[in-house]
Amino acid sequence: MTTMTDTTTQVYQLYIRATPEQVWDAITNPDTIAKYFHGAQIDPGPLEVGASRRSWSPDRTRLWGDNTILECDPPRRYVHTWRSLYDDELAAEDESRVTWEIEPADGGTSKLTLVHDKLEGAPKTAASVTGWSYILSNMKTLIETGEAFPAAT
Amino acid sequence: MDDDLVFKALADPTRRLLLDRLFERDGRTLTELESQLEMSRFGVMKHLKVLEQAGLVVPRKQGREKLHYLNPVPIRQILDRWIGKYREHAVSALLDLKTSLEDTA
Repeated sequence: MTTMTDTTTQVYQLYIRATPEQVWDAITNPDTIAKYFHGAQIDPGPLEVGASRRSWSPDRTRLWGDNTILECDPPRRYVHTWRSLYDDELAAEDESRVTWEIEPADGGTSKLTLVHDKLEGAPKTAASVTGWSYILSNMKTLIETGEAFPAAT
Repeated sequence: MDDDLVFKALADPTRRLLLDRLFERDGRTLTELESQLEMSRFGVMKHLKVLEQAGLVVPRKQGREKLHYLNPVPIRQILDRWIGKYREHAVSALLDLKTSLEDTA
């Protein structure tokens, strides 16, 4: 008997007291991203398939990521490639993929699901991106209260 | 996510074991999870349902299979909301104790 397992996909899910549009803004607006994602600076650019999503360290001296938007369906679905460039070992690994899914839920909340997959050729990246829990928890606090935790180092 | 549901889900050894199994290897089918437990398929399904309602396990379809993924976010939120606060408190109490012991020494 074959058992089907999937060890190269990570799933993160949470409910946020906000509209899908507010959540969409939080995952695509560079000003908002900087507040919950280790101070990352995202280059402003078109939100469209094939466009690049380039992110920099807070002082804009180091390139953290140079990814490509694969799908863009506001305010429901946003997919982009992922490669961590802030570390040489991670940068040498294969590209993986990040999918953001937003669904309206009960009680004025939205369900946000983040799927980080295609990690077959990126085992070290897979071990490092477990920090998504922290990022998403921080994003939720920011959206719901307007305040983020102090930036993690 | 409702804290009560998370604490209730975690308050059972079988459910914690299921989470540990998914932590070791994520994205498993019911059949695979069941094969490692001395429990009926129905029993495992019931426990998975409780974990899903608490948001600790997220099911996703892949082809005809339903794969179960460990969702670490609710545990992170418990950590932020409950554990971190008291850990800080305990640490500062210990530091106070150290200071007062050293002062009187």
